[in-house]
Amino acid sequence: MKILVNGEARELPGGTTLQGLLQSLGLRREALVAEVNRKIVEKAQDAALGLQEGDQVELIQFVGGG
Amino acid sequence: MAQTHEQLIQGDPWTINGKQFTSRLLVGTGKYATNELMVDCLEASGCQIVTVALRRIPLGQKGEKNLLDFLDLRKYTLLPNTAGCFNAEEAIRVAHLARASGLSDFIKLEVLYDEQTLLPDPIATLDATKILVQEGYTVMTYTSDDPVLAQKLEQAGAHAVMPAGSPIGSGQGVLNPNNIRIILEKVKCPVLIDAGVGTASDTAFAMELGVQAVLLNTAIAHAKDPLRMAHAMREATEAGRLAFHAGRIPKKLYAQASTPQKDF
Repeated sequence: MKILVNGEARELPGGTTLQGLLQSLGLRREALVAEVNRKIVEKAQDAALGLQEGDQVELIQFVGGG
Repeated sequence: MAQTHEQLIQGDPWTINGKQFTSRLLVGTGKYATNELMVDCLEASGCQIVTVALRRIPLGQKGEKNLLDFLDLRKYTLLPNTAGCFNAEEAIRVAHLARASGLSDFIKLEVLYDEQTLLPDPIATLDATKILVQEGYTVMTYTSDDPVLAQKLEQAGAHAVMPAGSPIGSGQGVLNPNNIRIILEKVKCPVLIDAGVGTASDTAFAMELGVQAVLLNTAIAHAKDPLRMAHAMREATEAGRLAFHAGRIPKKLYAQASTPQKDF
């Protein structure tokens, strides 16, 4: 299935969860905030959240700013 | 016994939404050559509140360090900004993301109108302030130096209003001190100068006007020697605050001798 991660198209096996996606990207969960289809996902929900074709995932972190 | 410099500074704290701070300098974390330099500059500035931004994680950079790996959160209160948002909805979304980090419910609300001036959209800023206050954020709102808007923001519940001294990153200092003076008379919540500071004297001047604090980033990060400027900004903030309380002498047209003119 195809989903968008931070605007980039990604091909994932069906049934991939948000937790699985984050692991495959090698990202540390404590360092980011996740949104799926513009809804914020709490860390505790990652494993239960199965991604669907066409989902838009946003992975956001703190960066330098004024 | 006369109070020391340190006692005078420590004895003059300020609060935002019930949270107390003794440093009156807020420093941004953007534009430093390295994260290590940023850490040193924050330390030198004596700041207790640091602004941060939220952006997409670059994919394909496994295990890379991020900003939070460099910031000691026991020492600094995070003030996430909504920089780069051009309408209320975007700014509110960024505020939600910031709070979802679990690290801060402070928000530096910034809703911009156009990219050239980076001036705020006053109507969208007011709308977003109302909503975020209702949602329980500690809202510090970036605004133009319009005294009417500052009052409207306070009425909307803003915990601090933060007029720009001059455009963001422009280094022009406080261009309209009289507007800041009027805001200070009309508004009871903390007033901060946010943006426009170019060098230490700009900070001292802002503090002498009586603002609670100054927020800056570029003036340190893009100085030729950022660490030296961070020290300068700390001293300027403290000097300006002390001078504000000390009370300047009136300006006079003619000289008044400091030394007795007779009996020599």
